[in-house]
Amino acid sequence: MAALTAARTRRRLAPYVFVLPFVAIFAAFSVYPLFFTARLSFTSWRGSGAAEWVGWENYTYLLTSSAFWSSLANSGILWVLIIPAQLVIALLAAVLLNSARIRLRGFFRVAFIVPFVTPLVAVAQIWVVVFDTQYGAVNGALNLLGLPDIGWLTTTVWAKPTLALLFIWKTTGFIIIILLSGLQSIDGTLYEAASIDGASRRRQLTAITAPLLRRTIMFAVVLQTLAVFQMFAEPFVVTQGGPYSSTTTAGYYLYNHITRADLGTGAANSFLLVLLVMVLSLVFVRLLRAKD
Amino acid sequence: MTSTLAPRRRERPAVGSYLFLIVLTLAFLAPVVWALLSAFKPAPSIISAPLTFDPSTFTLANFTAMFEDVPIGRGFFNTGIVLVTKGTITLFFAPLAAYAFAKYSFVGKNLIFGAVLITLMLPTIVLIVPLLLEMKLLGWVNTYQALILPGAVDAFAIFWMRQVIAAVPDELLDAARVDGCGEFGIFTRIVLPVIRPGLAGLAVLTIMNIYNDFVWPVIVASSERMATLQVVLSTLAQNITGNRIGADYATVTGELLAASSVALVPLLVLFIALQRHFINGILAGSVKG
Repeated sequence: MAALTAARTRRRLAPYVFVLPFVAIFAAFSVYPLFFTARLSFTSWRGSGAAEWVGWENYTYLLTSSAFWSSLANSGILWVLIIPAQLVIALLAAVLLNSARIRLRGFFRVAFIVPFVTPLVAVAQIWVVVFDTQYGAVNGALNLLGLPDIGWLTTTVWAKPTLALLFIWKTTGFIIIILLSGLQSIDGTLYEAASIDGASRRRQLTAITAPLLRRTIMFAVVLQTLAVFQMFAEPFVVTQGGPYSSTTTAGYYLYNHITRADLGTGAANSFLLVLLVMVLSLVFVRLLRAKD
Repeated sequence: MTSTLAPRRRERPAVGSYLFLIVLTLAFLAPVVWALLSAFKPAPSIISAPLTFDPSTFTLANFTAMFEDVPIGRGFFNTGIVLVTKGTITLFFAPLAAYAFAKYSFVGKNLIFGAVLITLMLPTIVLIVPLLLEMKLLGWVNTYQALILPGAVDAFAIFWMRQVIAAVPDELLDAARVDGCGEFGIFTRIVLPVIRPGLAGLAVLTIMNIYNDFVWPVIVASSERMATLQVVLSTLAQNITGNRIGADYATVTGELLAASSVALVPLLVLFIALQRHFINGILAGSVKG
């Protein structure tokens, strides 16, 4: 009897012990900093000395600063350059990889995910070399075709597309796998039935696959929107935000505050960015729901 | 996993489909293959003949020069330390907490799990500024603790493992209890072995994340002594020109590609060896619920 009670007590107490290590780390390095950022965004603290309360000043400064808006615009343009192209490529690839007619599907799956697992910094360095104006392999190939050099990373026109290409190259494989998981969860008998009813392959794609895949597509778009607006490492390694701030993304602009020890503004910028990303996510969710 | 029942139809040669897949494969593999091959070319010809590879000129010169100029060994060492400690913490404590969330009821469970879901949606960059300040307050800037502890048990791992452990039948756990197994014993002897496939997926993702992590390390631990592999790699070009006065573009490029290759290969090998776990992990963990 006593042993049974002891076992029951242990069973009641066990979950608290089990979550403790996680909760400790989570509280110290996620929850606490979050509240700290909130408070910091209303001060002009520069990392030392007393923090002066400035109210909404950091927010109004950012909202009236052209540099802030152009960092958002840069991220917005990158979004437009990246997301539609990536979705089309990933959808095509995922549908093909889900089709029993295609051989070597396992090989293609691995080949496509390789860019996603390679270290970004290594890849970014390769990008710098390959797209170098004077010595790069890409311009070398263009010259062979009799075309002139292009300043891929040195002109404001081309820097964004070149960065977008790096991002598409790096993350499309991951999106393919996510879409594939959505496709695999669609009941195969739906296609059988449609086939019997004489629906063409294209008709099946628009009538069955597209509507049922909407949730997965939405998930992928939200995920990539978060990633694009947070993009930091790519411009950090490849372009340092230049030329002429043309690749200073929202994430990179945020980092600029940190390097200038302008921590209050940095914190306010973080929250504005979160707000924007959440609003964008909600808009996508609404847009895709509206059609249901 | 549901089987992929493709629609039955008259067999048509899918030339266009294969063409698309092959072009995509080439586009995805070309930069990596080009870098790996170019690293073994004499530095000047990487620039003068970027699109050809002549096996007779195969050389390790770029690698030997790179190992001399760049503290890449130190980078590997630091990444290794973080990988082992942080990886172990994640792979043990995330399933342990997830086990509590999946199979027990306790005060504050919904509150904490709600907080986990919220942080899943927050951009990680929001935490960078205050985390850096926290590290300064603790005196942890340029230390291993700063590289290891923040994010050691991250929200995504908890979320994913909870899904996996929820699928373990309760009867299995109750049977172990009847046999006199303690609560922690149930976790180590029943839960962990049963969820091994999911755990393998988490392991691959965790290793990948830690090995590739760059933003946090470059902000909190960029000193030469503490720089991880990715941080070393990111400042490579400046490093080489600093160490070798008058180093020309070809030399720098050769060493850069050698270093990139050295950083790429371990992860590629690991991934190709474990790709099944990784891909199935994403397939199982991405769009559920």
